[in-house]
Amino acid sequence: MPISGLISLERLAEFEQQARAAAATVERPSRSPQAIAAAVHRVAEKTVELQIESANSQPASNKAREPRIAVAASHDMPQPFLDACRQLPGAFTDRTKAALARADVGVTEAFAGIARTGTICVCVDHEYEGYISLLSRTHVAVLAAENIVERPNDLFRRDRLEGKGLERNFVYITGPSATADMGPLVRGVHGPHWLHILLLE
Amino acid sequence: MSTSPTATDLSGIDSPRAVANKSRKPALAAAIRMALRIQSPAVRHNTQTFNRGRYTAIKTIPDYLELKNQARAIKDDAIARLPELIATLERSVSRNGGHFYLARDAHDASAYVTAVCKRSRVKLAVKGKSMTSEEIHLNPALEAAGIEVAETDLAEFILQYADEQPSHIIGPAIHYSRERITDLFRRVFKTGEPLDTGEELTAFARKRLREKFLSADAGITGANFVVADSGTLMLVESEANIRMTSLVPPLHIAISGIEKIVPTRESLSPFIELLAASATGQLMSSYVSIIQPPMRKAPVASDGAAPQREFHLVVVDNGRMKMREDPVLREALRCIRCSACLNSCANFQTVGGHAFGGETYSGGIGGSWEAGTKSLLNARFSELCTGCLRCVPQCPVQIDIPWLNTVLRQRINRAEASPAAQLFAPLLADVPEADAGASLQKLFFGHYDGLAEWAAKAPRLANAIANLGVNRKLMEKFVGLDHRRTLPPIASPTLVEAAAHRERQRNSRTNHGNARPGGTGSASPRAKAVLFADVFTNYGSPARGLATLRVLETLGVDVCVSEVSADGRAAYSQGLIATASKQAQHTAALLQKYLADGRDIIVVEPSVLSMFRLDYKHLLGGPEAPALLATLQDRCFDPAEYVWRLIERDRLNAAEIFPAVDYPRGARLFYHSHCQQKSIGADAPTLALLQATGFDVVSSRVECCGMAGSFGYKKDFYDLSMAVGRDLFNQVLEAESHGPRTLVASGTSCQEQLHSGLQKPVFHPMEVLAESTPRSRKFRPNLA
Repeated sequence: MPISGLISLERLAEFEQQARAAAATVERPSRSPQAIAAAVHRVAEKTVELQIESANSQPASNKAREPRIAVAASHDMPQPFLDACRQLPGAFTDRTKAALARADVGVTEAFAGIARTGTICVCVDHEYEGYISLLSRTHVAVLAAENIVERPNDLFRRDRLEGKGLERNFVYITGPSATADMGPLVRGVHGPHWLHILLLE
Repeated sequence: MSTSPTATDLSGIDSPRAVANKSRKPALAAAIRMALRIQSPAVRHNTQTFNRGRYTAIKTIPDYLELKNQARAIKDDAIARLPELIATLERSVSRNGGHFYLARDAHDASAYVTAVCKRSRVKLAVKGKSMTSEEIHLNPALEAAGIEVAETDLAEFILQYADEQPSHIIGPAIHYSRERITDLFRRVFKTGEPLDTGEELTAFARKRLREKFLSADAGITGANFVVADSGTLMLVESEANIRMTSLVPPLHIAISGIEKIVPTRESLSPFIELLAASATGQLMSSYVSIIQPPMRKAPVASDGAAPQREFHLVVVDNGRMKMREDPVLREALRCIRCSACLNSCANFQTVGGHAFGGETYSGGIGGSWEAGTKSLLNARFSELCTGCLRCVPQCPVQIDIPWLNTVLRQRINRAEASPAAQLFAPLLADVPEADAGASLQKLFFGHYDGLAEWAAKAPRLANAIANLGVNRKLMEKFVGLDHRRTLPPIASPTLVEAAAHRERQRNSRTNHGNARPGGTGSASPRAKAVLFADVFTNYGSPARGLATLRVLETLGVDVCVSEVSADGRAAYSQGLIATASKQAQHTAALLQKYLADGRDIIVVEPSVLSMFRLDYKHLLGGPEAPALLATLQDRCFDPAEYVWRLIERDRLNAAEIFPAVDYPRGARLFYHSHCQQKSIGADAPTLALLQATGFDVVSSRVECCGMAGSFGYKKDFYDLSMAVGRDLFNQVLEAESHGPRTLVASGTSCQEQLHSGLQKPVFHPMEVLAESTPRSRKFRPNLA
């Protein structure tokens, strides 16, 4: 994929630091379909492992099952880019609510990132991107570094990201879903319990 | 919906619904008792956590003030153009393929939503948190139509099963501790599943609600903002339940007050960061959805045939257009429901919104909303606003919440005009007609100046009478003055008398025939000032005023003392706005005289200083008012603030002039700044000054001491006042665990509160500096 503009290393570092502060994880794989698929595969296996651990106090007695992976249709990135993910074992194409709600990992693009807050922006009405980023246990978002802007309100400027933020139906996502309603802060409520960002330099 | 039970029903009540409507007086007192007994620890912990978070978060926004100005301007413009924006919004929603409905009132709105659900044969509706849906009593309407409603915000989930109204605008169940949630769930769900940690409770609710999300026929949400020209909704949350509700079911209904409408998507710009920081103290909420439903491009992920997505936007008037016509309540329409005014309020931190709130809305801003969407008397809980002004700098859209509450108080006074009060009013003072209906309590506390002036004529007699047991009982019965409080004695001599005496002595000693009357008379003074003889300092604690004179003279300031003048604070705090306005005009004329003479105005009592700097804008009218108000803002000072300015301006060495090492009580202080002093920014200079002179100072971290002028003297509020004070007392005790400290406070009522809680003497910063005079300079008052 072509790199459309220069991005400052400081902004990249700020994004990564803030995303981690918001309890997301960030990884910088190389810009190749194989590297992205390998990262998704690792996250999927880890997600299954974590669920077994939280469901059972003796993880050793459980055999890991194959992870269920939903990959959203490509949007801004070229279609072959996530094709390797679509070939992963456990990747499924059933798009019923029940199937999507059982996904361990949902992979989507993020069309923007925000350095100041470690936020990503995901379109919610392009095919099943909205559901996949919402119903999966772990959300893996693929973000191109050149799409990182400085502040949240940059999305409402015509001269940033080709004005996509003024046109699209989207959600600003900062970390996994969370609540403080049950007393202490708990991460992982109705939405994903884990947000993993694949940052492509 | 709930009716107010009679006073006798209310003793020991523990059902928040029973006291939600506070249009009848006993409900407020009963709600306070209930909240103090059951809810206070959880409310304190949660609101104070939010409050600290907000202070931290706003520091990270470099253009915070600029964003606030933008936000306010956008809302003001939208409110001005509201009818036009509503028409634009209707077209936008239709263009997107949705349905638009403007509901006149609560019943109209809930009937429309119910009809839509019935038409679509909805059996189960999932719901995101929406205060507007509470306001229109939506759940009972849907349930009456046989529709199951599942609240999906975890706080609302708790409240649905507890059958309670929200106690906070963004954290509806902050009055529940984790332990109480566990008890509730065990009782309601009778399950053996583990429910002993936040994680377990959350996992339990997630599992239950996920089934609901996947099988719901309709999703009902509120909206934080609605964009007129595109039909965009901005939905802010952290749990993802609103994303679920607005996306997963095929039918989405959004309910919003008409005041949430802004012109364009660009107008959302300042609000994204402001709302997150002001509300939860986050840089960004977990999810902020920017959507234009029905989002026809998004497929309906259903198992089988996919019908088209359907969307209804219901915008609710329910009194808002009337608020828009009201010159005062109109300001409340700016509110973006962030709850910063709740979290920064000491009273709210102590009792929460079941006491400091109505059936739907709570906290400082809540009174205006209950009055606007229900009726005036529903706003009675706004009595818990002490006018401390702590919320004013916190409001992201700059609503003058204490002013709104003062006006509500005046209107309630009038609505409840008692014959007895009308009979006694002329005896107390010349009460303007607009204030004549106020209760005896309001008239008593509102005329401290008049009573003090009268008492000062025979102070010993007056003090004796005032604290006579039988009189205190009568006062408790008739004006609600709590018998556990000590009345501040009337001083003899007063500040004005003492200053005049001092002046006479000095003139006879120096024999300077040409010394200016009232002034210090130095040839080239460092500055010229007048010490305003406010009624609290003049009659209550002249020592603070005399110490201020000594300190200013030490610095070579030419300072005199004004005549005593009622500034209007006491009347204003009781909602006696017409009385306060009259007094403000008189005092302003007096101040102008001194300003014209080139004198800066020094005000010892912070509540009076904040009148001059902030509240007079509501009380002074006429063509000259704007210029005078600007001058008052620039040239009225807290004494410590003034001294610190001179020291900085002239690069003086504070530690040489007022060496802390020479302070007879030792150099370790505990300093509590007054709430209104904080709100006008005079707390930091005081602390800086004390530290520069070499004191080791520990500062309080509370918003207010709980006394708040006359508030803590009132029988109905005494327990609350002392409960608020407990945080402050504990901070003193904690600071003193490493050795004793001298207590220092800037406000008269804070001094009284600290004294009553800790039984220790409390000094004003000026008294401390006046006694920190180097031994070599003792008895040489003027350095200049």
